[in-house]
Amino acid sequence: MITIPASLLRRVYDHTEASYPYECCGLMIGAIGENKEVHAFRTCKNLNTERAHDRYDMDPLDMLRVEREFENSPWDIIGIYHSHPDHPSRPSQTDTDRAWPAYSYVIISVQKGTVATAQSWVLNEGERKFYEEPLITGDSK
Amino acid sequence: MSSVTVKIPTPLRPLTSGQAEVKVEGATVGEILQKLDAQFRGFGDRILDDGKNVKRFVNVFVNEDNIRDKEDLDTEVKAGDTISILPSIAGGL
Repeated sequence: MITIPASLLRRVYDHTEASYPYECCGLMIGAIGENKEVHAFRTCKNLNTERAHDRYDMDPLDMLRVEREFENSPWDIIGIYHSHPDHPSRPSQTDTDRAWPAYSYVIISVQKGTVATAQSWVLNEGERKFYEEPLITGDSK
Repeated sequence: MSSVTVKIPTPLRPLTSGQAEVKVEGATVGEILQKLDAQFRGFGDRILDDGKNVKRFVNVFVNEDNIRDKEDLDTEVKAGDTISILPSIAGGL
């Protein structure tokens, strides 16, 4: 289960809508555990400019900066979000092929520029298969 | 020998008993990673191809520098450096 405060999720949605029709990505920071809680997010650059409409490749320097920013906090990078312009919020084969265990992968479907659905997925590494986890929209903090 | 701090990303922490960072001594990134592999079973398999190169979908930084822009596993480290191991994050439709 992953809990994201409504105000944070709205700002993530804003990022995905502003990036439409291209894919965008970012990192979610929060408390690790069976029940993950997101406390912050950071937008990251999509380095895949040739196929930005259907691929994302997160800038590793952005990830390094986020790691450094939160290294002395009680929080960690616990997941990734990315958008699927005009496609469902389900993981693609590319998503599955490139996924890492432990992280939550929140996929946001943006239809004609507006967020339609959002779902969170976690990789079962042994099966190399994603399973959906409940995405709870918590109260704004 | 230089003692450096190695930052472990969340997906690899099951291999390090949950430790988010580990102190290791060594002169190069390759030496450091080999020591981690000896200390934590399976660690090397996750980040190295044949023990010789960093896997394509893994990034290793010494402080702010990607070792692919330096000397890869031969990149030298000095006392107090921080090595960050970061998964490469990508996907798409």
